[in-house]
Amino acid sequence: MRVEQLYKNNAHRWMVMGRDAERRAEVIDTNHYLVQNNGRGLLLDPGGVENFSIVATEFSKHFDLANVEAIFASHQDPDVISSLPLWIQANPEILVYVPQIWVSFITHFGVKLENIRPIPDEGGIITLGGHDLEVVPAHYLHSSGNLSVYDPQAKIFFSGDIGAALLPEDHSDLFVNDFSDHTRYMEYFHRRWMPSNTAKARWIAEVRKRDVEMLCPQHGAIFKGDDVGRFLSWLENLDVGSGWSNVR
Amino acid sequence: MSGNLYIRRMGDEYDTIFRQCVSLNTELHKLVPLAKQMHLLSSNAVSSAARAGSEGDAFRVLTQDIQLLGDDVSACIDDTQKVIADIVMLASTLARLFTNYMTFDDLSKRTENVKMATPAKFFNRAHQQVVEEIREHNHKLSRSLGGLANLLSPIATLVKKGEYLAVCSSVEAASAGEHGVSFEAVASMLRELVGQLGKQSARQRTLLRDLLEAMEKQQQNQRNLLYAR
Repeated sequence: MRVEQLYKNNAHRWMVMGRDAERRAEVIDTNHYLVQNNGRGLLLDPGGVENFSIVATEFSKHFDLANVEAIFASHQDPDVISSLPLWIQANPEILVYVPQIWVSFITHFGVKLENIRPIPDEGGIITLGGHDLEVVPAHYLHSSGNLSVYDPQAKIFFSGDIGAALLPEDHSDLFVNDFSDHTRYMEYFHRRWMPSNTAKARWIAEVRKRDVEMLCPQHGAIFKGDDVGRFLSWLENLDVGSGWSNVR
Repeated sequence: MSGNLYIRRMGDEYDTIFRQCVSLNTELHKLVPLAKQMHLLSSNAVSSAARAGSEGDAFRVLTQDIQLLGDDVSACIDDTQKVIADIVMLASTLARLFTNYMTFDDLSKRTENVKMATPAKFFNRAHQQVVEEIREHNHKLSRSLGGLANLLSPIATLVKKGEYLAVCSSVEAASAGEHGVSFEAVASMLRELVGQLGKQSARQRTLLRDLLEAMEKQQQNQRNLLYAR
């Protein structure tokens, strides 16, 4: 498992964890993010039951997880959030930000409503230790209730499954090094998992309104610098919702 | 034996308890048509008794007992199914708690002798809480299984009662002249139903015995595991 600091400026930090070499072959590799501000923590897509212990161990080496006050789930998938009951067992006070339409589904993980803070379709703000993070709608990309997070200070855009890549086992880089080569790991995922060109265009327009230095997906490698723009252009020209069976 | 091995065994045993409950419930469902047939039989018996006039008076009393027998079997099925539903729920909750227990156990091993920013007590408290929840649910499971045994034991008594009613019906049939034919038909059908009830009851006792054995093994492993910790 690799853990790296993506951003640090005084008490404001971003960390990423990914490339879990210990995971079972049938479990998809996932990236997890920890945002820290003034000693308070926010976990973005903390992952499934499968990797709870490793995520908790690795982040614990760098940050006191007793100070994680909230979890953000970009959508409802098990690789995103099925570890939720374990985080709540560890900290019964933890808040869980989820897309509003998934509240009654996520409670099937055994989570009580008192922990949940639904985020409406239009997005909103999550305040962490006095710092505001912007929640940007990303519906139908891929989930029908899907959200991204933008940090204006760090200029980091957490995109959930958008920008995800299905990397080969021996790919250990956390960042995209060769964008052209990287597209072969992204194309099928986006054509198969992303259902709507209209939704895609709206989201791309939202990202372009912001100053983004890093675009951080939940699977695969992180886009940095010019690769952010390259990714948006590549996605813009991709016919999504077309990756099923013989169309592939 | 290592703690991990006990945990795996306990997980398997909850799975066994779960499957045995499902089997028991399936067997119990087979009693539903028997109870319905007993009610139908008692209605037929009432008609036979009415047609017999004063010669059917004694038989009429027996028909009430056949009706009550059907009621008792129905009540026993209802009560038992409620307890089985509780047991299935408890067993599945325990299986989930065990997954959590194993996860926190894994976390605790990973963080041993590692310099951590998160104090050990943060996750240890959650780990201990899971252990307490397991104990509490186990206790409830034990009580529900005891309750199940108590609920199933009257079926054997009902079988005996049914056999006795069938004999009495045959005796009445023998002394009821031409009406005795229909009384004997009731007695014969009752014997058949009670025979089926007896067979089902024997199967259920076997399943219940297996269930209690699985629970006993599971509790022994739990004690060993907690001692191993």
